[in-house]
Amino acid sequence: MGYIELNVLNNVDQPMALGIDLGTTNSLAATWKDGRPVVLKPEGGHGGSVPSVVHFAEGGGATIGRKALNKATIDPRGTIFSIKRFMGRGLADVQEELKSFPFPVSEGEHGLLQVDVYGNPMTPQEISALILTRVQQIACQTLPDAELNRAVITVPAYFDDTQRQATRDAARLAGIDVMRIINEPTAASLAYGLDQAKEGKIAVYDLGGGTFDISILSIEDGVFTVLSTNGDTHLGGDDFDRALANLVLAEVADQIGEEALAEPALQRAALIAAEKCKVELSIHPEAGLHLVLPENGVHVRRNVTRDEFEALAAPLIQRSLDACRNALADAELEPSEVSEVVLVGGSTRMPAVRTAVEMFFGRLPHTELNPDEVVALGAATQAHILAGGSRDLLLMDVTPLSLGLETVGGAVSKIITRNSTIPCSATEGFTTYADNQTGIDFNILQGERELAKDCRSLGQFSLKGIPPMPAGMARVAVRFHVDADGLLTVTAREESTGAKSSIEVKPKHGLTDQQVEQMLEDSLTNAKEDFEASRAAGLKTEIGIMVHATEKSLPTVEDHLDPEQLLDVREAVDAAKAARESDSMDPKLLQKVRDELERATMPLAAMLMDGVAKKALSGRELSDF
Amino acid sequence: MSLCPVCEATLTTPLVCLNCKTLLSTEGREVSPFEALGVERRWEIDPKQLKRALLDLSRHVHPDYFATAEPEQRELAEQASATLNEAFETLRDDPRRADWLVRALGGPSDSEERQMPQAFLMQVLEWNEVLEEARGATAGTDEWQAMIDLGAELSSEREERLEAIAAQLTPLPAAGAEALIEVRRELNAVRYIDRTRAELKSLRLEASLGGA
Repeated sequence: MGYIELNVLNNVDQPMALGIDLGTTNSLAATWKDGRPVVLKPEGGHGGSVPSVVHFAEGGGATIGRKALNKATIDPRGTIFSIKRFMGRGLADVQEELKSFPFPVSEGEHGLLQVDVYGNPMTPQEISALILTRVQQIACQTLPDAELNRAVITVPAYFDDTQRQATRDAARLAGIDVMRIINEPTAASLAYGLDQAKEGKIAVYDLGGGTFDISILSIEDGVFTVLSTNGDTHLGGDDFDRALANLVLAEVADQIGEEALAEPALQRAALIAAEKCKVELSIHPEAGLHLVLPENGVHVRRNVTRDEFEALAAPLIQRSLDACRNALADAELEPSEVSEVVLVGGSTRMPAVRTAVEMFFGRLPHTELNPDEVVALGAATQAHILAGGSRDLLLMDVTPLSLGLETVGGAVSKIITRNSTIPCSATEGFTTYADNQTGIDFNILQGERELAKDCRSLGQFSLKGIPPMPAGMARVAVRFHVDADGLLTVTAREESTGAKSSIEVKPKHGLTDQQVEQMLEDSLTNAKEDFEASRAAGLKTEIGIMVHATEKSLPTVEDHLDPEQLLDVREAVDAAKAARESDSMDPKLLQKVRDELERATMPLAAMLMDGVAKKALSGRELSDF
Repeated sequence: MSLCPVCEATLTTPLVCLNCKTLLSTEGREVSPFEALGVERRWEIDPKQLKRALLDLSRHVHPDYFATAEPEQRELAEQASATLNEAFETLRDDPRRADWLVRALGGPSDSEERQMPQAFLMQVLEWNEVLEEARGATAGTDEWQAMIDLGAELSSEREERLEAIAAQLTPLPAAGAEALIEVRRELNAVRYIDRTRAELKSLRLEASLGGA
């Protein structure tokens, strides 16, 4: 008897995973399908991208994405946008931004920022979680058979530890298993490097809605090594909008006075008008910049030429080029040594940006891929690699910022310098500075500045149990390890005694594990409440129909019912009416009332059926009842 | 050359067997950067070969390829990859490679031998004077020009120090040799040059910002 060979392996579906670009203005998911990354677009939809906007109605109820965007002018206070700018930040970090945001932001527990949504505080993590949920939902609609709860999520290269952790927390709240957080420009280079077996140095210029990133990578044999990254966390398309908005607001001030400018709806309307004008200027040499709000007495209609706009844009573009210069210096390269330039982010559609980048690097930048999609495509590629789907490519990423310890006098001793390839480890020796000192406190820092107070503190920990000895005799080895996820672990060990202490760094403005758990629990409770409310509403409708039907048919059959049966029906109907009109949204109670009504009206229903049958036979229509 | 404990093939690196692809534990023993990358222990290195070794080996040990593996395998991949990256950084940078070799051959550390070469000391005194005057200089002045000239001088001086180091370390001296003290002194000079160059750079940045 022969054997039939079964090639089981070939029948196993590749595990699918998402790549999600969680952007300042738009978010998008992609996945690996049939040997390449594809953006997940719902049929007939808007290209799959979800505006990163959440609207909260007064009294509850959130809408996410395109529908929320439409609420921006009607209800600016409840429409939360650009939340990415607040991720993992403290109130002091965002003072500048707050001036142009119409919604109130305050500081909650643990220095955590929160947006006050009609008296209900929401953290940036929770709001981002809503956006992620929507993105995942669209992905699931596009690929209904796939299980898509694992994802690689991208962040700007310049995001520090706290901001990355905040992004992880947001995903966790959305029920997404984060496989890896990767840098947006790196993701973009993966998407570009795929088709051609490219060799050489690539510069990825990523000007998004809110942030600017530049990364220099080298590609050799399918291995992508990030050489350096630089950027500006406060430079993006929004700033170009702001520059144009100021132009129109200056004229508004002449009409209605300087004081009236603070009105959030006016500010928001000006930004929207500015963005529209900016987009048009990318295509036409001249565009209208109109701000007409009759209720505010605002009527400004003016034209802006491309030259005018480019004069406003020049200092912003110059800032991006400064960052490019720094990134090249870190990579020890001249602009001419870069063989490919890749543009990412919607703001790179501006002709002025394209020209400036072309001049700077002395070559025409790549624009084959949609700049709005390229990051998500690259993230999907990395997700595919991490899911075990491919070994063709390898991404060797770097730490974006230096990591070190505070030393005596508030100085910083850098232990891992920025742009080190991860995973990486480094050990540095420290000693005591006082006689018989038995413990050392360590303050872990992230940043490039020389003084501890100018860097971001990631956490503190202490090593105890050092035996008493003269100052400078103790030998303490501090080891920093940054894993492939970019997460830092610090271990300190005294060599003579082996006293040891270690810490997994938890960032300051991040959520504690308890907070995340509490939020998850809250969202589950809320989900239960939401579910019960909709079930109750359904039952009330059903009860209403039953009561109406009973009352309508009762006169025709009541003579044939026992007095007891009749009383039973009347009581059940009264109870049902009362329950329907009550405020109760308890589905259990309503279910009981409904069942009771059904039971009481059983004889009535039987009789009706009988009557219907007879009357139907006598030529009357069913619909007459 | 040691053999793989699983398939007994000759190992290129103690981190992974390239024949049977098994990740190997190096727990409790020091792996030299030369061993880790599987390159010959000597001063002269070929940067291209070094990079190739890093990429080739990373293809076998990178944690991205073990993301769905057992925790133990993931940890081995994490450690092996960190060891490779650290080894590459140590070897590709001339002063770091020299520092490693001096220590490995039992030479003095930078706290045990703080001297710089005699001839170099005289120049340091001169340079310090130029630096002193350059602090607070504005673009276009003589002090400014002196600072730019100093930058160029330091660069060529650095080259010379590194050539001296190369000469002392080719071929590698015996463990504990006198030459190692000389190399340490040269390394101290290189460190002085690097610090001074960093200061010049920030002075220049300050001046150009102040002038703007």
